[in-house]
Amino acid sequence: MSAAQPQTMAGEAPAPDLAGEAPAFWPTFWQNRLAAAGAVVLVVLLGLAIAGKALTEWWIVFDTETIRLPDKFKPPLSEAATGMIPAPDAPVFGHYLLGTDELGRDVFARMLQGSFVSLSIGFVAVGISVLIGTALGALAGFYGNLRLGIITVDTLIMRFTDTMMCFPTFFLILTVVALLPPSIYNIMIVIGLTSWTGTARFVRAEFLSLRERDFVVAAQALGVPEIRIMFRHMLPNAMAPVLVSATIDVASAILTESALSFLGFGVQPPYATWGNILADGKDFIFDAPWLFFIPGFAILIVVLAFNLVGEGLREALNPGLRTRRA
Amino acid sequence: MWAYILRNVWQRLILLVFVSILAHSVVHLAPGEPSEVDPSNPRMKPEDIARIRAAFHLDDPLYLQYIYWLRDLASGDLKSFKDSQPVLPKIGQRLLNSLPLFLLTTLIVWGLSFPTGIHAAVHRDSPFDRSMTFLSYTLISIPGFFLSYLVILGVVDTLDVPVIGMSTFGMDEAVPVFQWMDRLWHLTIPALMSAVMGIAILSRYVRSQMLEVIGQDYVRTARAKGLTEDVVIYRHALRNALLPFVTMFGFLVPSLISGSVIFEQIFAWPGIGRLGYEAVLARDFPVILTLNFITAVLTLIGTFVADILYLFADPRIQIE
Amino acid sequence: MALRRWFLAVPAVLLVALLQAYFWVPTYDQQSAGNPKRLLKYIEASAADAKILNPILNADTVSSGITDYVFEGLLGADQDLRLRGRLATDWAITEQAYLIVRPDKRLPDGTPVSAAELKKRILDARDRGGRSGLKGLLLAIDVLHPETRAETVVTPPAEGKPAEIRVKVRVPERLRFSLSRVDQDFFSRLEPILGSGYLDGFPYERHVDAEEPGARAHLHLVELLPLAEHNPVILFQLRRGVRFHDGTEVTARDVKFTYDAIMNPKNLSPRVSDFEPIKSIEIPDPHSVKITYKRLHSPAINAWTMGILPQHLLSEEALNAETENLSAAARAAFGMREARFNRHPIGSGPFKFVEWRDVEFIHLERNDDYWEGRPELEDYYLRIIPDPLTQEVEFRTGAVDYYGAMPHQVARYLKDDSYQSFSSLALSYSYIGYNLRKPLFADPRVRRALGMAIDVDDIIRYLLYGEGERTTGPFPKETPWYDPAVRPLPYDPAAAVRLLEEAGWRKNKEGLLEKDGTIFEFNLITNSGNPARKNIITIAQNAWKRIGIECNTQYFEWAVFLEDFVDKGAFDAVVLGWTTPPLDPDLYQIFHSSQSGPKQLNFVAYNNPEADRLIIRIRQEYDPERQRALAHRLHRIIYEDQPYNFLYTPRTTRVLDKKIVIVERDAKDQERYVKIYPTKGGTISYYFNKWRKLAFTPEF
Repeated sequence: MSAAQPQTMAGEAPAPDLAGEAPAFWPTFWQNRLAAAGAVVLVVLLGLAIAGKALTEWWIVFDTETIRLPDKFKPPLSEAATGMIPAPDAPVFGHYLLGTDELGRDVFARMLQGSFVSLSIGFVAVGISVLIGTALGALAGFYGNLRLGIITVDTLIMRFTDTMMCFPTFFLILTVVALLPPSIYNIMIVIGLTSWTGTARFVRAEFLSLRERDFVVAAQALGVPEIRIMFRHMLPNAMAPVLVSATIDVASAILTESALSFLGFGVQPPYATWGNILADGKDFIFDAPWLFFIPGFAILIVVLAFNLVGEGLREALNPGLRTRRA
Repeated sequence: MWAYILRNVWQRLILLVFVSILAHSVVHLAPGEPSEVDPSNPRMKPEDIARIRAAFHLDDPLYLQYIYWLRDLASGDLKSFKDSQPVLPKIGQRLLNSLPLFLLTTLIVWGLSFPTGIHAAVHRDSPFDRSMTFLSYTLISIPGFFLSYLVILGVVDTLDVPVIGMSTFGMDEAVPVFQWMDRLWHLTIPALMSAVMGIAILSRYVRSQMLEVIGQDYVRTARAKGLTEDVVIYRHALRNALLPFVTMFGFLVPSLISGSVIFEQIFAWPGIGRLGYEAVLARDFPVILTLNFITAVLTLIGTFVADILYLFADPRIQIE
Repeated sequence: MALRRWFLAVPAVLLVALLQAYFWVPTYDQQSAGNPKRLLKYIEASAADAKILNPILNADTVSSGITDYVFEGLLGADQDLRLRGRLATDWAITEQAYLIVRPDKRLPDGTPVSAAELKKRILDARDRGGRSGLKGLLLAIDVLHPETRAETVVTPPAEGKPAEIRVKVRVPERLRFSLSRVDQDFFSRLEPILGSGYLDGFPYERHVDAEEPGARAHLHLVELLPLAEHNPVILFQLRRGVRFHDGTEVTARDVKFTYDAIMNPKNLSPRVSDFEPIKSIEIPDPHSVKITYKRLHSPAINAWTMGILPQHLLSEEALNAETENLSAAARAAFGMREARFNRHPIGSGPFKFVEWRDVEFIHLERNDDYWEGRPELEDYYLRIIPDPLTQEVEFRTGAVDYYGAMPHQVARYLKDDSYQSFSSLALSYSYIGYNLRKPLFADPRVRRALGMAIDVDDIIRYLLYGEGERTTGPFPKETPWYDPAVRPLPYDPAAAVRLLEEAGWRKNKEGLLEKDGTIFEFNLITNSGNPARKNIITIAQNAWKRIGIECNTQYFEWAVFLEDFVDKGAFDAVVLGWTTPPLDPDLYQIFHSSQSGPKQLNFVAYNNPEADRLIIRIRQEYDPERQRALAHRLHRIIYEDQPYNFLYTPRTTRVLDKKIVIVERDAKDQERYVKIYPTKGGTISYYFNKWRKLAFTPEF
C-alpha cells in the first residue's frame, strides 16, 4: 500500500452518537496502553524537535555541519579524538552520542535537526490537507444537492475526490518534487495537496448526517447565515473523525517525506532529514550500521506513535465500537 | 445496466483527459530542462541541442506541445528525450516486468490477510489477536525501504544468496528448472516486502469488517439455527463482509504503482516504477507524461472493474 | 469446513512454494549449481550505462571500456606500458623534411642560394661525416618544383572570424629530405651550411592569397607554408588474416576509413585533436599504411591505440541504406552518430558484441577466431548497477565478479579470505591550483608556504584510510617520466610562516598575516558533490587558519564551477584533479603558457619559459630515453614553481572472486592455473583473455 494513502484501519467511522452518553474521553484514551505510550513518545518528540531546532540553529550546542575527518565512522557513545580536531569542533560532551557519519558529522545533532524537519513537514502538510479536505467535505455535505448545470455539487466534489484517491499519488508527488526547486515548503504543499481525500470523505459524511439534525434546521429557519451554521455549529461536531484521520495522516506524511528524501528528492544536504541520513547511511551498512539503523528505527517509532495515538483517539471518540459484542 | 456502464466509462474518460492535461502542465511548467538538451550541459554541442529541441518541439507554446504529445502517442511515434527510443514499447516492456510482481503481491496480500483477519476477529482479544494488532501497527509504521534493506542484508549475510533483480545474473544458460526457481525466488522477497503494508492494513480491515458483521442479527439467527460455527463464519458472515473488499481491489492498483517506485529501485527491478523514477531524474517529459497517463488508465480500469464486480456481487445494489 | 481449510491451505502452500525456491538458487560458493556455464561468464558492474559504442565517437569511460573489448587498434600497451603491435605487426618511423629554397639569400661564403647548390653542399656534409651528424640520418634529397595549391582553411568558430577561408598558396621551389628517423634538431644541423639568417624573416604574405580581402589576417601563415617543415612518417605493417566479427578481413582501407571518419566534421568526434597532426594517409598495399604528419608531435603515435572501424559497414553507401524510411531532412542530417552500428558494434577485438539491454546490461561473447587465440571466458557482461550498496551485495552473492572497494572498505576486503584483492595507484592526482594572475599568488615562496602548511599525510591517512600516496608531479607515479628523486614539500607550518615573512607577510595583532595593510585572504572553491574535495577544502582551510591566513570556501555545481570560474580564470584557488594517460608525457594543454585563454586547460596561467621550452621539446622528441630525461627536468621545474600544491594519488583496490585464475596452456593443451597479478600501471586485466573461473577455490 502506498505511503501516501491515509491509513484507514476500519473503513468509515460511524457518526458519534452525541445525543447519547457523553463519552468519557480521557480515561478511555489512557486505558489503551499502546496509545498512551504513543502519546508519551510524541510529547518527548515534540520537545526534542523544538529543543533540537534551538540547539542546532539558534544557540549552537549540537553542531550538524562540521566535518571532522579523523572521527569518521565512529560508533555511538565513542570518544572524540580531541588531539586531532580543533577544539571548537569537538562535540559537547566529548563523546558522540550516536556516532559519526562518513564525513565525521555528529549523528545526534543531525537526528535532532531531522526531527524538526519531519515534524514540521508532517504538521504543515496535514494542516493543508485538513483545510482543503474540510472545506471540500463541508461544501459537498451541506450544498450537496445544489445543481451547477448538469451535475450536483456533491457529485462534482466526490468525483474529484475519487480521482485523487485513486491516483498513484506518490508518483505525482515524486514528479512535482523532483521538478520543482528542492525546498521544504514545496514538499509540505505537495503532500498536503494530495492527501486531503480521507478528511473530505469523513467531513462530508458527518455533514450529510448533521444537516438533517434539529439544531441545524432550526438555525436555518432562524435565518442564521449558512457559513455561520457550517463553522459554528456543524464543524465542531464533525471534528472528531477529522482529528483521528489527521493524526494518522501525519504519520503517513512523515513516511512519504522520508521516502522522498531517501530517493534523493526533498530537503537537500547539508540540511539533515531522517530520510537522507538513512539514504546516505545505507551505503555504509556493512561498516557503520548505526548510520542506517538509528534513523530507520527513529522513523518507525515516531510513525508508530502517531498511528497508535490516532487509533486510541478513534476508539476513545467512538466508544460504541469497542463495546459491540456478538 | 448498460447505461450505468457507459456512463461510468464516459466519466472516466473525461477524468483521464483532465488528468493528462494537469500532468502535462505541471511537468512543463516546472523549471529544469531535459538533461540531454539542457543548454548548460557541457557534453552536448549547441547545434545538437538546437536540433533536439526542434525535434521535440520544446520551443513551441504549451498547448501545441500537448497536442504534439497526444498525436505522437497515438501514432506510436513518441520518442524519449533520453535516448530517442520510442516510448510506448519501452513502457510496455517495463510494465510486463512489473506485472508478475504486482500479481504476486496481490496474491500474497489477499492470501495472508484473510486468514489472519478472520482468525483475529473470531478470537477477539486473544494473544493472537493482540500480537497481530501490534504487528500490524509496526508493519504500517516501518518505512518500506528500511525493512527491505534489513531483509536484503539479512538474507545476503546469512544465506549468501542473491536477492536483487529479476533473476540471478548469468542463469540464462542454466537448466530450465533452476531458472524458473531462480525467478520465483527473486520474485518472492520484493513481493513480500511490497505486500507487508497491504497485509497489515487489509488484515485489520478484514478483522473490523468481520467484527461488525458478526454482531449482526442474521448471524445470531444462523447460530440459533444450530449451524456450526465454521459455516456461520465462513459461509454467512464472510460473504457479507466481503463486499467492501471489492472496492479495495480498485485502490490496490494505485498503491501498487506508487509503492513500485521505491521497491523497484531497491530491488533493481526493471519495471515501470523504476522507469518513472529514471524519467523524472532525466526530465524525460514524454516518458513522464505517458507514464502518468498509463498509470491513470490502469487505475481507472481497476476501479471500473471493481465497480462492475460490486454490481454483480451485491444483489442489493441499486443503480443510482 | 472446506472453506476454512482452503483459507488456511492456500496461503500456506503459497508461502512454502515461494520459500522453497531458495534451495535452487546459486550462492557465492556454489555458483554453478544447475548452471555450469556460469564459470565461463565474467560479470562486471558499472554505475552508469554506456552511451555510444563507437570508439571514435564515445566520450565516457563506460562506453570506452566496452569498445576496448570489441575493437582493436593498431597498437596497444604492453606490461611495461610500452607500445606493442596489435593489428599492426611492425612500424617504422622516419621523417620527410622540407626546406624552401630562398634565392634571395646568400650562403655564408657569399654564394647565392640555389637548389642544386644547397643539395650538393648538404650531401657533401653528410658524406664527410663529422659533427653535422647527418651521416646515417639523411638518406636522400629531392628537389621539388614550385607549384600552386588551392586550399580551404577551416577556422575554429570565434567572433569576427570567417569559418572557411579559401586561399591560394604559391609554393616556391623546395628541397625534400628523407631521414631515417625523426630529428627535431635537423634544421639546426643544416645551419652551418645555410647560414644563420636563413630561417628568419620569410615573407609569407607574398606567397599566400586569400579570396576575401583581409581574411588573410586570420590565418597562421607559417602553418600553410612552413619555411622548414618536419613531416614525421610512420609506416605500419598490418597483421594478415585478422577478420572483423562478420568475417571481412581487416585491411589498410579500414585504417584510412577510421581516420577519415574521425576527421569528418559531421561526426563530431571528440578525437579530432589526436589525429589533427596527420597530413595524409596512403595505402601502398592492403596491408601497409603510410601516415605522414604535418609537424613534430611524438604523442601522435599513441593515438593509434584507437579501435579500427569496419569501412564496409559505415561507409556512405552503408549509412544510406539505413535512411530509407526517413524524411528528406532527417536523411540529410543522418550521419555516423545516428547509425545503428553504435548500438550494435562490429570490431575485430577479442570479444564480439551480442546485446545491449538499456540500463540493464551489455553482453559480449568471445571471438573464437581472434588472432591471438580465443579467450578462455565465453561471455562478458557489464551490468548497470547505479547503487553502490547493490553492487557490493551482488558481488558478495556471486552475481558480480568484480568490485572496486571504497577506501574505508579496503581493510575489510584485504582481510577477507573469500576474495582476492589488488591495490594499485590510480592514474590521477588531486591538487590545489592557484591563480597565478593574482598578485597574491605571484611569489612562488607564498605558494610553497601554503603547501607546507598542509599535512598531506594526514589527508591520506584519514580521508583515504591510507589508500594513497603523496605525489610531487604532473606525471603518473608509475610512469618513467615521473622523477622519484623529487622530494615532496615537508609539513612544516613554522617554516611556512618564515617563508611568508620573507615574502613580506607579518602577523598582525589579531594573529592574521598582513602585508601593506591588507590581510592574507582569498577564496578556495571546488565543485559540489565530491566529498573528497570537500574534505580537502576543510583541511586546507583549517591548516591555513592556524598560520594566520583567512581562507573562505565555497562549492558550486560542476557546470557552473567550470563555466563561471575555471573557464574564465575568475578564481583565487581551486581544488581539482587530473586523470593522466599513462602513455604520453605531453603536458602542453595543462602547463604551456599559450594555453591559458578562456576555456583552456592551463587555467592557472602558469608561465615559465623554460617549462614551455621543455614541453615543446618533449612532444617533439621521438627517442624515449631523451624524452625521459627531459620529462624529469620538467617535473623538477614545475615542482619548484608550485603552480599547484600537488597533493596525492589515490590507490584503487580491486576485489575479485577468488575462484578466477589465469589459465595457461602448454604445448599439449594441458591447463595450468596461475594467480592473477597486476602489471605495471596497476592493471590486472592485462591477461584478461586468459581468465576463467574455477568451480573451487584454488590454493597458490
